[in-house]
Amino acid sequence: MELFLQRLFDGLSDGSIYALLALGLVIIYRGTGHLNFAQGEMALFCTYLAYQFGEWGLSIGLALLLAMACGFVLGAVTEVTLVRPIAKRSPFAVFIVTIGLFQGLNWLDGAIWGNQVLPNSAVSKQQQFPSLFPNKATDFVDIFGAGVKVQSIGTFVLVLALTGLLFLLFNFTKLGLAMRAVASNAESAKLIGIKTNRVLMVSWGLAAAIGALGGVVFAGSNQTVSMGMMFSVFIYASAAATLGGFDSPGGAVIGGLSLGVIQNMVAGYADEWVGQQMKIGAALIVIVGVLLIKPSGLFGTSKVERV
Amino acid sequence: MKPLFRIKSGGAASWVIRLLVTAALFALALWIPTRGSNPTIGYCLDAFVLMTAAMSLNLLLGFTGQISIGHSAFFGIGAYATAIGVSRYHYSPFVTMPIAFAIAFVLGVIVSLPALRIKGIYLALVTLALGLVFPQFLKWPKVVGFTKGPKGIDAAGFNFGRKNRTYSIFGWKPFGDMRGDGSLPLYFWIGLGMVVITYLVCRGVVKSRVGRSIVAIRDNETAAAVMGVNLPVTKAIVFGLSAGLCALPGCLSTIRTNNVLPDSGYILVIGSIVFLVVMVIGGAGSLWGPIVGSVVYTFVRVKTGEWSGHAERIPGIIRPMFDWSKSPVGDGIFAVLLIVLMFVAPFGFVGLAKRWTARVVAVTPRPAGTGTLLAASSATAEV
Repeated sequence: MELFLQRLFDGLSDGSIYALLALGLVIIYRGTGHLNFAQGEMALFCTYLAYQFGEWGLSIGLALLLAMACGFVLGAVTEVTLVRPIAKRSPFAVFIVTIGLFQGLNWLDGAIWGNQVLPNSAVSKQQQFPSLFPNKATDFVDIFGAGVKVQSIGTFVLVLALTGLLFLLFNFTKLGLAMRAVASNAESAKLIGIKTNRVLMVSWGLAAAIGALGGVVFAGSNQTVSMGMMFSVFIYASAAATLGGFDSPGGAVIGGLSLGVIQNMVAGYADEWVGQQMKIGAALIVIVGVLLIKPSGLFGTSKVERV
Repeated sequence: MKPLFRIKSGGAASWVIRLLVTAALFALALWIPTRGSNPTIGYCLDAFVLMTAAMSLNLLLGFTGQISIGHSAFFGIGAYATAIGVSRYHYSPFVTMPIAFAIAFVLGVIVSLPALRIKGIYLALVTLALGLVFPQFLKWPKVVGFTKGPKGIDAAGFNFGRKNRTYSIFGWKPFGDMRGDGSLPLYFWIGLGMVVITYLVCRGVVKSRVGRSIVAIRDNETAAAVMGVNLPVTKAIVFGLSAGLCALPGCLSTIRTNNVLPDSGYILVIGSIVFLVVMVIGGAGSLWGPIVGSVVYTFVRVKTGEWSGHAERIPGIIRPMFDWSKSPVGDGIFAVLLIVLMFVAPFGFVGLAKRWTARVVAVTPRPAGTGTLLAASSATAEV
């Protein structure tokens, strides 16, 4: 039982990070119907910024807020300058632009901070990437006999809180109403006077800011930041969003958490057969299976096409 | 603006242009292995690998409109089939290539089954999953007996031994020096053959009935089905063919480097993205696009590789943009190129070239169906 709980909490903690990035993907997809391939790299860039703010002596809380603000600006500027002019042409072109952005931001990280694991004693003042939550070897909480890291619980609670906030935003604010209107029918939304352009800009900004939060939390739990860090997280996040349905924020969170749990359970209980190498394989096979039965994900709405 | 020249498709002028281009390519193909230096031939091989992979992806993405980010897995199948075939069973690469094609074809058909239900980005993510799982699968303890796990397979180079001769006419070697195990000219000819075959296969598919069906699928799937295109069969064929063709460059890269590793080169997911970038730079949905794209890609890679660590070598205007960079500038240039191209030339360099030549030379297409009509009328006239 302790082992089961241990694995459950490990899975939830891994899944929380996926869920954070998946939320960003879903917000963008709902608004414009695009897959933002650069979501992970935007988050990574902001994480590097947070590291830099830390180098300049800011506390982690402040650095996080600044990084999220920069992320918001980055996302909004991307939407206005790169995505919007090209979105009319074809969705494929937008996909390619986000791939260009993915490469470009990754290169920019390397160009500014170098291809190395940061912080390291040669170049940085910080000993380790600061964590939002207590993250020492002794920081454990005992839950039904299973030792759970405070860090894991903190991340999990953070995701739940963020989901709650987004729920409030979508359902009880004018902006959220506008966002839902644009998601359901952009042209009609424009006709009734919603400034769709502004809504889309805010969506991209919001998505990048949430991604930045995910990146900083992930770097905090790793205690380092490096160039290849976010690519795998992005892939798991997109798998999570696929599982939950690309147009459902709640689905993204549930998808992310269950992906983390499946991954850890499979690796834990079927270690002999599946092993560490194929644990992601097992999780992805589950997702492909789900897609075969429900092609738009667990909570996604299936599209009706008109010819 | 009116174009300066008008030529008829299939007329004398168009044949002269075609002959000139073909002759120039032939001359280049003979010049490189005989006169070119070893690094030059090596770069050509890199370009051949990318060309074939990008052409196979183009068939699926550029023409059929099915996004795949899993082609690195098919590439890996080619690489591993050849490595296992050569090192374990001592097959010649000419035997392992068809085997690799067949294995990848079957896997491609299997991947196409979800593609019948899953569309757009969901399909992109399913193929992404394939690309992601494949390198992990190679390290899976159950198959390590075959794949040798993370260590990879060494000594996978085939000893062509005495079979390869160097042909010479009065001391001039038209094929270059083909002796020895690591003879680059030999690999050059294998690679060139692969590229030509892949090009002809793609051309044959695109210009046929299947080609018209797949373009219809890309433009409007529902309408295509209504017009009588058999979606499942067509998609399965194109997926399989694209996957099979993508396995060939894997074979070439294995026999050239003598070894494969599960975590290196184009076998990783990033390989799929490179193929995609190459295809888009050259021009998605055009037969020559991937070829042009891979030449550009290889050229820029080689150039920027020379610059790394020597900021003073970066020429002129782009030096201030890149000389502060702590990492190689190649990726940065491609990122900028990709985004700029999407704005100014969504169909890549080939699309751009077509647009520019259209201002100077207008090609009048042959009226559809006239060929057979004329033949029929002349036949009746003779009677």
